[in-house]
Amino acid sequence: MSLKNKLNRMKTHMNLEPVNNPSPIEEDSPTVNTDIPFYDKWLENGTVSFHFDDDYCFIREVRYPLNHKHGLYSFSELKKIVKEWNQTSLAHPLSAKGVKSEELFFFDTETTGLGGGAGNTIFLLGYAYLEGEEVVVKQHILPQPGSEIPLYQSFLENINYETLVTYNGKSFDWPQLKTRHTLIKEHVPKLPEFGHFDLYHASRRLWKNKLERVKLSVVETDILGVHREDDIPGYLAPMIYFDFVERKNPEILFGIMKHNEVDILSLITLYIHLSRKILQIDGYTEESMEIARWLDYLGKKEESVETYQRILEVGSEEDRIIAGHALAFQKKKQKQFNEALEIWKEVALKGDFHLRIQAQIECAKLFEHQFKDIASAINCSRNAHQEMMRTENGSHLGKKILDLEKRIQRLERKKGSKGRLV
Amino acid sequence: MKLRKNLQEVITGLKTNEEFKDNIVHWQVIDEKEAKIVSFPDQIDDKIKQALNKRGINGLYTHQATAFETAVSGKSLVAVTPTASGKTLCYNLPVLQKVLEDEKTRALYIFPTKALSYDQKSELNEMINEMEADINSYTYDGDTPSNIRQKIRQAGHIVITNPDMLHSGILPHHTKWVSLFENLRYVIIDELHIYRGVFGSHTANVIRRLKRICQFYGSDPVFICTSATINNPKELAEELTEKEMVLVNNNGAPSGKKHFVFYNPPVINKPLNIRRSAVLEVRKLANEFLKNKIQTIVFARSRVRVEILLTYLQELVSKQLGPKSIRGYRGGYLPTQRREIEKGLRDGSIYGVISTNALELGVDIGQLQVCIMTGYPGSISSAWQQAGRAGRRHGEALIIMVGSSSALDQYIVKHPDYFFTRNPETARINPDNLVILVDHIKCAAYELPFKKGDAFGKAEIMDVLEFLTEERVLHQNGDKWHWMNDAFPASNISLRSAAQENVVIVDQTNAPDNRVIGEMDTFSAMTLLHDEAIYLHQGIQFQVEELDWEEKKAYVREVNVDYYTDANLAVQLSVLEVDKQQTFSSTTAAFGDVSIRAMPTIFKKIKFETHENIGSGPISLPELELHTSSAMLSMEPDIFEWDENRIEQGMIGASHALNYMIPLYVMCDPHDIHVYPQVKAAHNEKPTIFIYDSYPGGIGLSDKVFENAAVILLETKSMIENCSCENGCPSCIGTESASKTAKSDAKRLLDLFCKENHASNAGVCE
Repeated sequence: MSLKNKLNRMKTHMNLEPVNNPSPIEEDSPTVNTDIPFYDKWLENGTVSFHFDDDYCFIREVRYPLNHKHGLYSFSELKKIVKEWNQTSLAHPLSAKGVKSEELFFFDTETTGLGGGAGNTIFLLGYAYLEGEEVVVKQHILPQPGSEIPLYQSFLENINYETLVTYNGKSFDWPQLKTRHTLIKEHVPKLPEFGHFDLYHASRRLWKNKLERVKLSVVETDILGVHREDDIPGYLAPMIYFDFVERKNPEILFGIMKHNEVDILSLITLYIHLSRKILQIDGYTEESMEIARWLDYLGKKEESVETYQRILEVGSEEDRIIAGHALAFQKKKQKQFNEALEIWKEVALKGDFHLRIQAQIECAKLFEHQFKDIASAINCSRNAHQEMMRTENGSHLGKKILDLEKRIQRLERKKGSKGRLV
Repeated sequence: MKLRKNLQEVITGLKTNEEFKDNIVHWQVIDEKEAKIVSFPDQIDDKIKQALNKRGINGLYTHQATAFETAVSGKSLVAVTPTASGKTLCYNLPVLQKVLEDEKTRALYIFPTKALSYDQKSELNEMINEMEADINSYTYDGDTPSNIRQKIRQAGHIVITNPDMLHSGILPHHTKWVSLFENLRYVIIDELHIYRGVFGSHTANVIRRLKRICQFYGSDPVFICTSATINNPKELAEELTEKEMVLVNNNGAPSGKKHFVFYNPPVINKPLNIRRSAVLEVRKLANEFLKNKIQTIVFARSRVRVEILLTYLQELVSKQLGPKSIRGYRGGYLPTQRREIEKGLRDGSIYGVISTNALELGVDIGQLQVCIMTGYPGSISSAWQQAGRAGRRHGEALIIMVGSSSALDQYIVKHPDYFFTRNPETARINPDNLVILVDHIKCAAYELPFKKGDAFGKAEIMDVLEFLTEERVLHQNGDKWHWMNDAFPASNISLRSAAQENVVIVDQTNAPDNRVIGEMDTFSAMTLLHDEAIYLHQGIQFQVEELDWEEKKAYVREVNVDYYTDANLAVQLSVLEVDKQQTFSSTTAAFGDVSIRAMPTIFKKIKFETHENIGSGPISLPELELHTSSAMLSMEPDIFEWDENRIEQGMIGASHALNYMIPLYVMCDPHDIHVYPQVKAAHNEKPTIFIYDSYPGGIGLSDKVFENAAVILLETKSMIENCSCENGCPSCIGTESASKTAKSDAKRLLDLFCKENHASNAGVCE
């Protein structure tokens, strides 16, 4: 009995999923254009074949005029925003200082599976860049597993840019590209070094509280005003690709290509939008608070103080109090104790529960150490203590309450000893 | 006040004490052995010598020196190293030497369990510190924090892992490990003997994948294996790694004088031939040592027994405050707890430990004075492993094996010669088992595409590649096969599970504190774990309250009843293909592929002693189909002029006995193999005993049975002969037979098969 028969007999014991719609695989991988199945359909879709080493891949190109509007902005805004970056003194991870707008490379891939293993194949490498008065979108498509040499050859021949712009590309797209490149590195050019703007991390900073999931598709609809029509969701990509590989008819794949194209275009809009937020071109917005925190985190004291100040002036009531609280710490560091005290007094009245307590304690510290006003310090501490005791779920405050009680006792002693001395 | 006795006095006591002396059936003295030490090979780096000197080591045992010289000369090796013979130096020395010579050198250490890798890492790091060398060694397993994984991949000279992590966490991500695979000089496989059966067959394929990736990155590592004493270390190492191996077995480690005692509990029920419980005897014996504070390790075969014995023996220290000096040790304890116990044993603050075979592996607990085994551990090789826990390099040690009522235990206890003179078991693997092979070819294709003419170890893979292409898992492009699936194949493949699915046995006696007490392959579960079945686990009766077939869980509760259950299984066994066959005058022996379709029908409740049928019930479970390999023993139906019923009873008895004895010859558990008699087999219409592998596709067990049929049949026959029962008992032909002739008939059948089988060496069976 042949091994094949044995294999078929043992099938039920193996981890195999049933094969759906088995259809005949078309014979012979062709080497000449005219032999490429459905080549006319590919051509219609703006796609040509690229031949290398007796094998081929597809390259699709689409061009948009700069005044094309994708969501909130037209692509010409990209030029303006890069100019802004070059004029500002702010150093920031997303800064395009020293980069020309033509040198940005908006990049996204489609793969045959999830996760980062060696066998997860990239079947579509898509990117967009500015050229003259146009945005050029290019997509390199793998005609079947194994034809990766022409795919990467054509891709690496084409790219010559400074900075990659991606969505989660730092942990997914780029490492996966490196993995697949490692497998054929003998046959294709080396991978170039790039700067990398990963807009996923920036988006998370600004919208993680606002959006349930900070996926690109959600950011598109909820933030960027991009509306897709007849979109094929990305998670269907592997199934659709496998179907294409079997049937060779690319029509179904065109949907995924369109999906990828929109993703890439949205990266441009998102970069413009994020940059406007960070550079605060539109003044105070609902993201200003997060921007100020981000600048604070990056150690950009001056810029963060400015931002807090702006929020304090024109922000919503809620933001104003939070910004004020943050600002007061800056003021205290800069030894502007009076300003700090005034802000904290307001926070102590209008802030939320935690802010009120913190502000009272900060006031107490200022009274004690800067204004030598022990009585007021005790007063503020007692207020904070009362506030804490009022709450039902005070248990998690245990240590804080204890600390506060120690503070009050210490202040009382200080007051007492002073009293005796006087 | 009575003074504490020392070991010598206790030994003398055993020989004279009325309570013990009659139960001692054999007393073997193993003489002490001097150390064989040679000076350090010249090649060894001064830094290493210096570190060894600091530990008081001024030379190497002969086997360590041979291993070093073999490994640095670029040859793969397997070193046979009994417990406490300094095996870690066999691989640490060549690895450290090469890293010192060339900083780029990388080595991969594979340990079967995480606990062992932890141990090894601390030992290795101590050594590296004493060498004052800049060498990084890391463990890389499921517990490794993600923030240091990157560093390990780039800069770890020595990466310590386990086969499961290699399979699902390293190989599928090989592109992130380029510096490891480009510079991999050594692969260490510790505890080689663990890699047998299904686990070994899987691991052999993981190693095929590893070697394929090494080849891609241009490396060709040397394999260094260490193994406990088994019959075929070289063969197993060569099957597992598909590399030519040098066998290093010139053990030069010293050992003290050992007393090895076989102890058989007294018979308490003559007609049923039931002996006093081994657990109770062990309790009595251990008490004797522990009350004299003699460091003692007690092995028990299950977690439950460990707990029972522990409760008994801790009474001795019930008044002690703080951490107890008698402790349990088994899987399920937290790692920190285990570390603490190991340390306590080494420094002497713990003088008693009750353990499952978890301590059989190379965890360092120092050397104890006494070892007691509750029952035969299942194989000669693991009996020696456990015995090795007792015996300091100087001074005497005592090892007591207490037999249980099972057939295998009784056979061993009554045949000391067999135990002391025979080679330990042969470990078998079958890397080309189709189910396993196909799984790993999927993983391998995910890792790197296959090219026409590519080898995958010794396996024939063209047909498999074409098969997987038809199944739309691979895609053929020209002469290459590429992975074409959205799955991550390694995540669906477990290296350790026997069949695809096992039934988990949940004890809900102390509900809601439910405990998993074991698992069983689905095939056996149909007849042993159906609703209302009485299931015997480590001698305790449980009743199955519910068998949840969908979820593969059997819920049981402890009971005490005077009957057992016996299920009728409607089996259709068809022979698909006969690969090997030998025809004798009235019997045939064959080996081939079989299909087994089984469906349980009803079960009967049968009273002990009287064998009365006291009730029955239906079983409703779906039919199961299993394709596997089988040895087949057939005979002419009319040879003894017995009626069908008598033939059947005889065959059932013989099958039972065979099932007990086969694990003696093939390293496996009794449930890894099934023995099934048919009075009229479908393929030849003759009475036939089928001996088949439980795992789909077979893992080489029945093949080995076929090869060694004459010896196995002979030993099984003599086991029945030597059983002191009259008409058959649980210790020989099983409890099922009520027929007076069953015992002698089973013997005659085995005799017939044995005499005709291997007629060429007919002498064997006289």
